[in-house]
Amino acid sequence: MDLDNLKNSWQQQPNNEAAMKITPSVLTTIKVTQQQLTLNKMKLARLVEGIIFGLIVIMLSQYIVNSFSVSLTAPLLSAGILTIFALIGLAGNIGQLVLMDNVDYSLPIKRVQKDIYLIFAHKLQLTKLLLCSAPFYMAYVFLGFELLVGVDLYPYLSTTMISFYTISSVAMLLVTLWFINKVHYKNINKPWVKKVMQLIIGEKILCMAQFVNSMEAN
Amino acid sequence: MESTTIAGDRCSDPASLFAMLMEQHKGIIYKITNAYCQQQDDRQDLAQEILTTLWLAFSKYDSDFKFSTWMYRVALNVAISYYRKGQRRVDHIGSVNDDSIINMADLNEDQQQSDTITQLYQFIGELDKLNKAIILLYLEDESYQSIATSLGMSKTNVATRINRIKAKLQQKFNQQEQ
Repeated sequence: MDLDNLKNSWQQQPNNEAAMKITPSVLTTIKVTQQQLTLNKMKLARLVEGIIFGLIVIMLSQYIVNSFSVSLTAPLLSAGILTIFALIGLAGNIGQLVLMDNVDYSLPIKRVQKDIYLIFAHKLQLTKLLLCSAPFYMAYVFLGFELLVGVDLYPYLSTTMISFYTISSVAMLLVTLWFINKVHYKNINKPWVKKVMQLIIGEKILCMAQFVNSMEAN
Repeated sequence: MESTTIAGDRCSDPASLFAMLMEQHKGIIYKITNAYCQQQDDRQDLAQEILTTLWLAFSKYDSDFKFSTWMYRVALNVAISYYRKGQRRVDHIGSVNDDSIINMADLNEDQQQSDTITQLYQFIGELDKLNKAIILLYLEDESYQSIATSLGMSKTNVATRINRIKAKLQQKFNQQEQ
């Protein structure tokens, strides 16, 4: 059976009226597709996240302005580091909202599917951002002590402890950067990457990731 | 020719124009849903989602492009990102009954469908999402360049994939005949 010989009969489908009926009168009542409904819910979630990140940025900026002095203290530096992470989160959320508003299904499949994947895989990006901030755990400790107890913890730490925290943070940063770099749809063929991604984004988005990867591999 | 007609009809009621175009090109929805879904409920759901997406995107349709190409792109993009797990949904449009926007007969119960075409659907159904899109466009007699543009791939890759898919389908048909 030659596939080319089937082209003509293939193109004639559906070959009878009963095979498919469209009721155009219902069309005018339709305002949104199922996928748009999902996107609208996601937009709301991104908006709430964006507001939270925005509030964090405002509060940390206020703290920095109020505590700013000639000498650089550990809580001040910590607030600066955490502001950077909050700003990245805020920018990511704004980017997501823009992306959601610009999905055009008539564009080439490779581009549309990648855009859809990036929208649905937001949870993965957020997880990566949180993981990225983990090596800077001491920033939370310093700032927390300053805000809750009003004490700058840094001068009370011994040189050994400072060295330990520094080395552990650098080691964590290297491991985190390696991990974040690996957990990407381009490495989805590696079983452990697939499992991690499935755990974070779920089966549906994993299928999207596999599709985007298969298209980009070409 | 096609684009001129659509451009000329733009001044008429968009819903009527859209309904007319859908009637002319409903085969695209029929073929994509049958290729991408194995269950009748899924086909019905996907057909509805494709039709509503097409309707909502219709105002942005650029009549400089061939309507069937635009429709194929939108429909394939919806089909590829379509995923349903668990129970059949009941949406604002209604369930599969008389007031549905679209009603599709079960492919397996369509007496007028030739056995070869039904078999071809079965074989296409076994391909991955990307190969399904490629072969659907190929069967519509689209050029390699047009398929490559619609997918965002290179022409060489499309040609290689088509040859592989053809060989695979040929093999399946041969096995069936034995």
